[in-house]
Amino acid sequence: MIENRPGLNILAHVTLILGVVVVAMPVWVAFVASTHTATDFSSGTIPMWPGPHLVENYRTMLDTGLSTSGTPPVGQMMVNSMIMALSIAIGKICISMLSAFAIVYFRFPFRGLAFWCIFITLMLPVEVRIVPSFQVVADLGLLNSYAGLSLPLIASATATFLFRQVFLTIPDELTEAARIDGAGPMKFFRDILLPLSRTNMAALFVILFIYGWNQYIWPLLITTEPQYYTIVAGIKRMADVVDGLPKWHLVMATAIMAMLPPVAVVIGMQRLFVKGLVETEK
Amino acid sequence: MASITLDNVGKVYPGDTRAVGDVNIEIADGEFIVLVGPSGCGKSTLLRMVAGLESITDGEIHIGERVVNQIEPADRDIAMVFQNYALYPHMSVRQNLAYGLKNRGTPKAEIERRVNDAAEILQIGQYLDRKPRALSGGQRQRVAMGRAIVREPAAFLFDEPLSNLDAKLRVTMRLEIKQLQKRLRTTSIYVTHDQLEAMTLADRLVVLNGGRVEQIGTPLELYRRPASTFVAGFIGSPAMNLIPSRAVPNLPGTAHADTIGIRPEDLSVTEDGPIEMNVSAVEELGAQRLIHGQTGGEAITITYPSDAPLAETLRLGFDRKNLHLFDSKSGARIDKAR
Repeated sequence: MIENRPGLNILAHVTLILGVVVVAMPVWVAFVASTHTATDFSSGTIPMWPGPHLVENYRTMLDTGLSTSGTPPVGQMMVNSMIMALSIAIGKICISMLSAFAIVYFRFPFRGLAFWCIFITLMLPVEVRIVPSFQVVADLGLLNSYAGLSLPLIASATATFLFRQVFLTIPDELTEAARIDGAGPMKFFRDILLPLSRTNMAALFVILFIYGWNQYIWPLLITTEPQYYTIVAGIKRMADVVDGLPKWHLVMATAIMAMLPPVAVVIGMQRLFVKGLVETEK
Repeated sequence: MASITLDNVGKVYPGDTRAVGDVNIEIADGEFIVLVGPSGCGKSTLLRMVAGLESITDGEIHIGERVVNQIEPADRDIAMVFQNYALYPHMSVRQNLAYGLKNRGTPKAEIERRVNDAAEILQIGQYLDRKPRALSGGQRQRVAMGRAIVREPAAFLFDEPLSNLDAKLRVTMRLEIKQLQKRLRTTSIYVTHDQLEAMTLADRLVVLNGGRVEQIGTPLELYRRPASTFVAGFIGSPAMNLIPSRAVPNLPGTAHADTIGIRPEDLSVTEDGPIEMNVSAVEELGAQRLIHGQTGGEAITITYPSDAPLAETLRLGFDRKNLHLFDSKSGARIDKAR
């Protein structure tokens, strides 16, 4: 801002701090809850400071899991989530990069139509097509499998569009120079396009990994065997008790652990992520 | 190295837009040919057709003994230098130079030798491990030329390689390109819109206008005997004065031509000159000045020593042999001998 009035600065900071508090509060409550016993939490007053049972609660979830809800230990579900999120993120990047490559660099009949067909699938997120998708996956015998968890979510119009925009910024002369240098289409893709869209791939990976990790309704629907439960769907199952109270302290401990991998991905790839979204020069 | 022949070459874009038509050029082995013309005259299209980046719709292009119409750019044995350099931004200079050779399966030791040779010729040895973004415009241009040199191709194709450089650097690089070509003796085709660049570089010039060849010849031939008003106006700086003969009546020997051309440097101020000029503006160039004025309602320019006296009205004379006569309808030159 050009103006330099202390009042405005204070106002801006108060607003920002309020925003942080609003976002951080539930996380704090979840963390606090994960350090108490079940009785502390259901007594009516929610404690605001951590209790003494942190190690105990987390160990329970890591070792045995919550047997009453039929969920396996957290480790197993984390691995499942990791497999699903990674397959979705990597699969989406591969497929959308190749389709963007085809759309931008090859002249074939109905090229425009192909692009618009891909684009239109933006209007069909999982939730809208969930029943037919379930039918297809069930018919293919992919219920309770990693393929069933990830394959139906891999096609991505957003990522295709993003890569298309990236490829369009690469100057034609570079393509021509590569042609004269004897690089065929796939060689050009590997030697020129891949390295030039490295940062965009990283940015996309962060977004897509979190998208995959947070998938909730789809895994819930197609997994019935505990060995394929993902962590996010698992939390839902834990909180879903028919008789008695949910074991909130353990649910919250799981929730906190479920948050860690996406946070790690964001922090680890932050620099590339920002570069990929901001950088335009090729 | 090889000769290049363009035989009735033409290019028609879909929708019947003719970009280039009936171009016949024979380029000898080792010759430096410059294609020059205003923007949109088809010179870049023509070069890209030789390179294989544009399809050829009419005629044939031969490189050496081969007809290359259907041959991929990579297999035409040519190397191209682009206007924006087109260096691979993620590769070091060394990798940029080596990429084309690597794709052709050249042995490692041979690549190493050629890259080092090219780096030495172009004095880019100390930049070999840098990325293109860490180089200045002139250095990038050298790398782009290095990428062409390492290939040891039959022909170099230059597509306005100097137009992104500043004026001073352009003059230096121009000379370097000329020396380099003389040293390597590689057949070269060079595209530019800058007539000065064209004059200084070319063994022979090809002046293009509207997709057609106006004239082919050495720079001096084109300067001394332009075949049309277009070439007359395009080659030489400042441009030749082209005046309707009715504006300068009773000029001897011009009866059969309706446009007369005379270069500003061929006009001199004399007491009894046949042309009267009303001075309207003066441009100082240092060693000389350009005087712009009017004669019979037509614009005329002369170059004039900067220490000579000026007046409102000057009388101009010239040597008869420096007069160029043209037909105003076709623009074609009319030979005085006829």
